[in-house]
Amino acid sequence: MIMRPGQQLLLPANPFFIWGSLIAAMLLNMLQNMGFWGRAGWVPDLLAVVLVFWTVHQPMRISIGGAFVFGLLMDVHQGGLLGQNALAYTVLSFFAITMHRRLLWFSVPSQAAQVFPLFAAAHAVELALRMATGGSFPGWLMLLAPVVEAALWPVASIILLAPQLRAPNPDANRPL
Amino acid sequence: MPLGTLDRDPPPFFRQGPSALSKLAVCSALALLLMVADARFKVMQPLRVVLATVLYPAQWLALRPVLAYQEVSQYFSSLSSIKAAQDEVIKKHILQSQRANQVEQLSLENERLRKLLGLRERVHAKALAAQVIYDAADPYSRKIVIDKGMADKVGLGSPVLDESGVLGQVTRVYPLVSEVTLITDRDQAIPVLNTRTGARGVAYGDASLHADAMELRFMAANADVAAGDLLTTSGVDGVYPPGLPVARVEKVERRVDAVFARIYCVPLSLVSGTGHVMVLEPMLSQVSPRPEPIAPTITSRKGGSK
Repeated sequence: MIMRPGQQLLLPANPFFIWGSLIAAMLLNMLQNMGFWGRAGWVPDLLAVVLVFWTVHQPMRISIGGAFVFGLLMDVHQGGLLGQNALAYTVLSFFAITMHRRLLWFSVPSQAAQVFPLFAAAHAVELALRMATGGSFPGWLMLLAPVVEAALWPVASIILLAPQLRAPNPDANRPL
Repeated sequence: MPLGTLDRDPPPFFRQGPSALSKLAVCSALALLLMVADARFKVMQPLRVVLATVLYPAQWLALRPVLAYQEVSQYFSSLSSIKAAQDEVIKKHILQSQRANQVEQLSLENERLRKLLGLRERVHAKALAAQVIYDAADPYSRKIVIDKGMADKVGLGSPVLDESGVLGQVTRVYPLVSEVTLITDRDQAIPVLNTRTGARGVAYGDASLHADAMELRFMAANADVAAGDLLTTSGVDGVYPPGLPVARVEKVERRVDAVFARIYCVPLSLVSGTGHVMVLEPMLSQVSPRPEPIAPTITSRKGGSK
């Protein structure tokens, strides 16, 4: 793999941390629903953000199959149409894989701008499916959801890469 | 060397599994299949039950901070607000007690009169108290989740009430929780009776125009409906017991060019903020089964001519 100029050498990602962060994002999604905002349409889907993040950074570990399973779990939790989130996450994950080689060459804010269409597409897929099967329109505030998700991308980049930025045993002659 | 013994697999470095495009195709086909099976054929409930059971520990865990916060805020809520709430309850209790004292006498009288008339005794539905855990996250429908499920023998289709009226109907039962579709959901219909005129109708949820409202559909443009009319369950559906308050008519729009009037109603129950509910048993389990429909004697002649 070609190293980008100025790229920091990262430790290998811990698979337990990857799966743990995905499960934590799912729990946070549930907490947002149960505790704070109920069924509001504009609530950002944190699991989608973390899924795209790991698909871009670790495409060998997290890919379309995992996204599909997490989508099914979210479907059962939400109680909507079974498979809508699964399809949305599948599409999201596919586009993330197609752009993962290019995306990391950009700075983090411009990465956020580039993943915004992905989140918008995922929400559009869900909206189209539910409108086709006779759901009620959740209101125009739902247009905010992909914006908030893209805005959370830099936050995710800081938090989720933090464990890989540590040196195993740092010393003065060999800083990582 | 016979054919077929050569190792045709790619070296391990290139072995990356199926391509992303093929994975996308398989997963989206599977998702579409699930959606069709769920929405059209309604056969996905077993899979849902399995996944919900897997998911239950996660939900339980995610609910802990919510419950802890509620407990703490209750602990610190001021004495005065609790006292105000108590005064409110006492006032309501006094207002109700006057009528409640007459119930004994009235029900006795009613029973005798019914016996006199040879009518069936009114069916009494068994009730089960439950607590609302959270609003279902799906923004395209109006559903809530309650903390009683298969373990408490909640039946599919059971009516759900709160203290002021009908709230909805149980539409999915999981082992430990169940999903209640509110009467304001777009797909939810409830047969009602206008208590002023005695006219029966069907009220539908209408979440699109107003926030959490209902609509009384299929009433003729000249029907006798006025703003302020009380709608109660009519009991003709075999699900809801008759006489439970459902909604109040808010606005009646009569147009010259339309056959039906547009009648907007406001549900009486607190559809977006109730804490405790009551789950009744569906009436169908108590009334005798319907007689078999008599087979039509005249068969259709479509394409049947010799």
